[in-house]
Amino acid sequence: MDTPRLPLLESVFCAVNVGAVVLDNERRVVLWNSWMARHSRLAAAQVLGQDFFTVCPGLRGGRVAMAIQHALYYNFPSLLSQTLNKAPFALYLSEAAAARDDRIQQAVEVTPISLDGLPRHCLIQVNDVSIAVARERLLREQAMVLRSQTFADGLTGIANRRHFDVAMEKEHRRAKRTGTTLSLLMIDIDHFKAYNDHYGHQKGDQCLIQVAAALSGMLKRPGDLMARYGGEEFAVILPDTDVEQASAMAEAIRARAQELALPHERTTDATRQVTVSIGIATQKAGAPVEIEALIGSADRALYQAKRNGRNCVAALQPN
Amino acid sequence: MLNLTELENDALIEIFNIGVGQAAASMSAIVNEAVRMSVPSVSFIPRAEAARLLGHGEAPERICGVSQHFRGAFETDAILMFPEDKSLEIVRLMVGEAVPLKELTDMEQEAMCEIGNIMLNSCVGTLANIFQRELEGSLPQYHVGTSDHILTATGSLADSVVLMLHIDFLLEKHQIHGYVAFVLDISALHDLKEQINLYIARAMGQA
Repeated sequence: MDTPRLPLLESVFCAVNVGAVVLDNERRVVLWNSWMARHSRLAAAQVLGQDFFTVCPGLRGGRVAMAIQHALYYNFPSLLSQTLNKAPFALYLSEAAAARDDRIQQAVEVTPISLDGLPRHCLIQVNDVSIAVARERLLREQAMVLRSQTFADGLTGIANRRHFDVAMEKEHRRAKRTGTTLSLLMIDIDHFKAYNDHYGHQKGDQCLIQVAAALSGMLKRPGDLMARYGGEEFAVILPDTDVEQASAMAEAIRARAQELALPHERTTDATRQVTVSIGIATQKAGAPVEIEALIGSADRALYQAKRNGRNCVAALQPN
Repeated sequence: MLNLTELENDALIEIFNIGVGQAAASMSAIVNEAVRMSVPSVSFIPRAEAARLLGHGEAPERICGVSQHFRGAFETDAILMFPEDKSLEIVRLMVGEAVPLKELTDMEQEAMCEIGNIMLNSCVGTLANIFQRELEGSLPQYHVGTSDHILTATGSLADSVVLMLHIDFLLEKHQIHGYVAFVLDISALHDLKEQINLYIARAMGQA
């Protein structure tokens, strides 16, 4: 006996292990399979006949909407990669994942569907690529570990200048895209040449190692980075940090250096101990400047701190 | 070989600039940063010559390609192509990723496919619009290899003609040059030329 094709096809559509949605030419939901129902927690009965953007309001005006437009009106299919779109649909593996908005990682395909005698429809397929995303993250982390060995300063073990340049570029782009603040500290050990001349280069190196270890230990957030910028100069990248927060951080770092209580006979500071001067530059939210301008401002602020008598911090706004 | 009049040539450049302009706007929206694209020139060349143009130098350079098949008013394989190192650069600029690996990972290849998909849909969509005809397209496919390998991967014949667009892609001070190739057989070539002339005639108010 022949199996009736239509009910069979509908059952297969429902059973396939990808998210599948069909819209008519007015973007009403015509089919909504079990995978979608399970992960969106919206049953087919709730969404059939509804406007797609009423069902998924977050997708209005975005890349998925454009892909639907291309399929329905231009007859072209679209591919939406996880990398460029993250997770457009609000789909979750569990209630717990939904509660913390931990979405299934998605790759989406939107394809036009032609039907004889009917206006064009479109099929949206959502693939769960969470496993591939996790695998790639692992690969990248391992590459980062390998890279960090060539990104570390040979003497102090903290990030080197190359690492700083890469991190700076990344954080600068991120700040620009997300419209967040970005602060940069330039730190210089006061009268370090005199220290070297007086105590010798081996003591000088010891001093650099101790100061680098103590100051980099002050940074707690994963995005913060302290690098040896050159000689006795260090740079600290503080993403998402405004000028007040950066000043507080700089002051804490300055105090931490003093706490080390490393003797320094040839300094001008009354304590006769190793101290640091710090220049601060902050890029305001939504007002990005060039990287060079940010570094230049931090440098000038550092120079100002030196002129103000050293063992202090100074801030300048880049322009 | 097909020779275009200056008018036909200008019309094609204008049409494709509208197309890549739309693609650039879509990409800007994705990355929330200004992406600019333009088509400074187009040319018709035999397929073998197109492969040489891309693979300049002694050692054949590795090229990344994203292809889609289109059919309707005319039939063509459209392929977006960049030298491999440039496609690494584009994807990483688009993604904002700081840890470069030697080759595009699977996820990055998929992102490259999406970039190609946006470009090719926009270019061909503009053509279809302007020709007032409908085309249908396939999903994008990713290729990597020599230019010859990529141009033949789509199954085109050796005597096919390639309509080659030079693409300038500008993102965050990086300027990257690439190509979009439309592989056309003789009949597709004539269909295309006919459509261009219909468009010009309409634009001149003669139709």
